[in-house]
Parts: sequence; structure tokens; C-alpha cells
Amino acid sequence: MRRAPGLDWAERLLGGPVLWAGLGALTLFAVAPFVWVLLASFKTRAELYATPIVYLPAALSFANYVEAWTSRLTPFSRFFANSLWVSSVTMLGTTVVSILAGYALARFRFAGRQTFLLVFLATQMFPAVLLIAPLLSQWHALGLIDTYQALIYSNFSFTVPFTVWMLVGYFESIPRELEESAMLDGCTRFGSLCRIVLPLAAPGVAATAIFAFVASWSELLFAITFTSQTEMRTLSAGLLFMVGQYEIQWGQLSAGVIISTIPVAILFTYLQRHLIQGLSAGAVKG
Amino acid sequence: MAREATLAAPVARPLLSRRARELLTGYCYLIPVILALGGTVLFPILKAMQMSLYNHVLIKPQEYGYVGLANYARLLHDETFWLSLWNSFQWVFGSVLFQFLGGFAAALLLHQSFRGRALVRTVTLLPWIIPGVVVALIWEFIYQPNYGLLNDVLSRAGLMTERVAWLANPALAMPAVILTNIWRGVPFFAIMLLAGLQAIPGELYEAARVDGASVLQRFRFITLPMLKPIIVVATATRIVWTFNYADLIFVMTSGGPANATQITSTYTLLQAYSNLDFGYAATLSVALLLIMLAFTVFYLRLTRGLESVT
Repeated sequence: MRRAPGLDWAERLLGGPVLWAGLGALTLFAVAPFVWVLLASFKTRAELYATPIVYLPAALSFANYVEAWTSRLTPFSRFFANSLWVSSVTMLGTTVVSILAGYALARFRFAGRQTFLLVFLATQMFPAVLLIAPLLSQWHALGLIDTYQALIYSNFSFTVPFTVWMLVGYFESIPRELEESAMLDGCTRFGSLCRIVLPLAAPGVAATAIFAFVASWSELLFAITFTSQTEMRTLSAGLLFMVGQYEIQWGQLSAGVIISTIPVAILFTYLQRHLIQGLSAGAVKG
Repeated sequence: MAREATLAAPVARPLLSRRARELLTGYCYLIPVILALGGTVLFPILKAMQMSLYNHVLIKPQEYGYVGLANYARLLHDETFWLSLWNSFQWVFGSVLFQFLGGFAAALLLHQSFRGRALVRTVTLLPWIIPGVVVALIWEFIYQPNYGLLNDVLSRAGLMTERVAWLANPALAMPAVILTNIWRGVPFFAIMLLAGLQAIPGELYEAARVDGASVLQRFRFITLPMLKPIIVVATATRIVWTFNYADLIFVMTSGGPANATQITSTYTLLQAYSNLDFGYAATLSVALLLIMLAFTVFYLRLTRGLESVT
């Protein structure tokens, strides 16, 4: 048996200096903008607009956060609560709808199944701007402008197609025999979905639920078009609204940016592992 | 008592056969999704197609009426539309090309084992997950001419003598928003390609090493071919997504200065959001949809061709 040759010069170079330089550059590129805004959120007004630029604030001042959170003009506490509510309900609704649809498409062989799958795939291609004008006139006609329902219902347009598509894949990877034996033992279809399939698919369901939450947390265009009152704005819409006020208050705005980032950053640390696993499972299959 | 005496009564024959019941249950499970997407996607798209045939400006209700294909004729003669298409091309090409190259490099780096890999992975993937408005504002702050980070870093490094207003200069605005989009999209390719790399069996590399293949040969003859399906899919979805994506430019420049960053999706958005010209906005969005459909058909043809070659 031949032995693998030792590392040649190219491998030593790639594994050592190139790897470390690359990782350094990558991390710097990804993180520097965040750090810059994080620092800005702690700066006083004088430090923010000083020339030459002041990089580090003299003291950690939370004044910007307090101002942004309690401001009457741009109340971030209210924006945060709105975002939390809209994203949570969207997540819940999306999960229920897509579990049922994903299960049906994975298990039942009925006419039009392929068409359904194709529609879900095609829907993801549609530009959000396509839906703005018709949805606005639709919500207007139904008297739903400035309501949570309009935002939540509109969010389904981009969360549901993706989560259904993902869940069909997850459900198909679970062996049918498990359900069949449960049903022979007297379990109903719905019972076997709840007791057999869902526990097995839990990680996939959790990942898609988090996706729905994060996607609606980021949503901007529907939020600015379907709401007009300050107290109905979500975080994304509130941030944009803040830019529209007089001159840009970068201190408060930076604090708002950090406030909007933290929840999704936390969720993402959890999602990341599942996402890569889920994607590589798909890669093996494809 | 009498009832107990009867022997095994025949089970009542179900009204529907087992297969019919299965089908019915299947359709029942689909009712929620039909309601959810029918009202938010299907009906609005049909409505948009109808709207595109009407003169429908919200602030001029007296002019409302059926105009046939007049909006489409206006589209063909609208120079801003054609400019926006060209800008869209630059925006998509610049963004996706560099996102792919950066993401590929990042995936190869993050695939190696080193201390603190989990942390580096999470941190470098963050720009992808944060809201678009947040990305736009962070970079608007960095590009700010007087107290922005970029001007300061460049002038300290001796690369620049005069402060530059990145987003207000027609020649620089497009590269500036593209750079922002690259920052945002590199993690997408990194995560997709990382998943692909993890799915390649390690034995392939070992066998190639034993046979004396150099590191570049292994990349060329194992990594690239194995990643090809993922590359094709990821690039296609990213091209469509970037073409449709309006948030970033809308927040950073609103398509300005002088339409230098006006891509077709922001132009559509502005027609609906600022001009309240729903008829023309609907026409533009139908055009967007047709362009993306044509692209997808073309791309699928192309990639199917690729698959038959490999």
C-alpha cells in the first residue's frame, strides 16, 4: 500500500499563513461595520460629529438607548413590541399552515401535486414590489390599513412558500412505515402526524419557524406601505421613519440599529447549525 | 339483552372508498395554504395584471378608467425604465459575482478546522440575517462624507486627499450600494457552499492524495465538480432575488442621485409608494415578472444542458 505523501509547499502555505490572513480579513470585513455602529451608539453628540473622528467613546453612555426607547416621536419600545407581535404571529401561522401543506404534499399522491410544488417554487421568484399596489388597495378596501392583521397576512406571501418547500423535504426523509404501523394500531392520519412525524421532524420545523420569524422581523416594504400611524410601525419601518425626521440623529439611530439586530442575532446562532445541516442533507439528496 | 345476542354485525360500509377518503384528507390539509397564498399572492397578481390596464393614480381619482395597453406603450417609451434595466444589470452582475467569489473563499476558509471555528462562523454569517434597513443604515453611516468611517480610513491610509460623498456622487453611488450588497450577500454563498463542502466525502480527497494529486488539482477535479449543482442553484436564486430586491437602494439613495442607482424594482416601488401611480407601478411589476420568468426558463435550459454534459 502506498502512503500518502507529506504536505507539499502549497499545502503548508494554504494551511498556515493564507488561512490565518483570510480568516482575519473575513472577520474584519464582516464585523467592522457592526463594531463601528456599536461604538457610535455609546457616543455623545459631540463625539459623534467631531473632526477628526473620535473612534472610542470616552465613557459608556446608554443615553442614546434610553432616548430611542422612550422617545415620544420615535418610540422604539412600541416599535419593538409591534415587531415582536407581528413576527411571532406570522411565525405561528406560517408553521401551522406549512406543516399541514408540507405533510399533504409529502404523503398524499393526488392530482395537481406537481403543480402545487411548482407554484410554491415560482412564488419565491415574485418581486415584493409586485404585490405592493394590489395588496394596498385590497387592505384599503377591507379597512385593514394600520392593523396587525394586514401585516401578518401579507407576510405569509413570502414566508409560507419557502417553509412549505423546506418541510416537504423534511417529511419525505421520514420513513412512511412508522406512520403506517401507527395507523394499523388505530391511529388516525392526524394523530400519526402529531405523534410520529412531528417529533421526528422537530429540528426542521424549528428551523423553518425561526426562518419565518427572522424574515418577518426584517420586512420593510409592507410595513411602510400598510401602516401610516407611528404607533403601528415595526422596527424596520420605525428606523426608516427616523431617517425621515429633520436631520439624522445617528446616536439614537445606532442604538435603534443595535436593538433591532440583537433578537435575530440570538436566533441565528441557534438556526445556523440546523441550517447548514439541513442544507447539506439537501445537497446529498440533490 | 337482545343486542348482545347478535353475532358480529357487519361493519357499515363507508360512504367513500379508502382512496377517496385519503384524497379528501389531502385536499383538506391544503385548505389553509390555499387561503394564505390565495389572498396574498394569487389574487394580488391577477389584480396587478388588471390594474396595469387602467389609469389608476390614487391622487387623481377623476382620471380613473380603462386605458387598454396605454401603460405598456408608456413603458416602452420611458427612458428611465430602460436606464433602470441597465442599472439592474450592473447591480445584479456586480453584486452576485463578488458575493459568489467572496462567499466561496469564505466557505473554503470556514470548512477548515481551527480553534474558535463556531464563533467565527456565526459572526461572519451575521450580515446576511439582519434586517435590510439595518444594513442600509449601517453603511449610510460609514459612507457619510464628514464623519463617516470610510473617508477617515482612506485618508489616514494616504489613499485620499479630499472627502468623498459616496452616495451623492453619480459615479460612485452604484459601486457604493453594490459594495453594501456584497457585504450582505457573501454569507449567503458561504453558508450554501459550506453545506456543499461538508457533503463531499473525505475519502475522495484521501484517495486523490494517495494518487499524488496536488492541492490545486484536488480543488479543480473534486471540489468544483461536486459543488456544481449547489453553485447553479444558489447563483440562480441569488440572481432572481437581487433583481427583485429593493430595500437597500430604497433606503440608501431612493434611486438617486439623478437615477444613478435606480434599478427596476426601486423604480416600481417609487411609482407606487411616492407617485401613487398604481396603474403604471402594476405595469412595471408585470414587466419585472416577465423578465424573471424569461430568465428562469433560460437558466433552467442552460443548467439542464450542463447536467447532461457532466
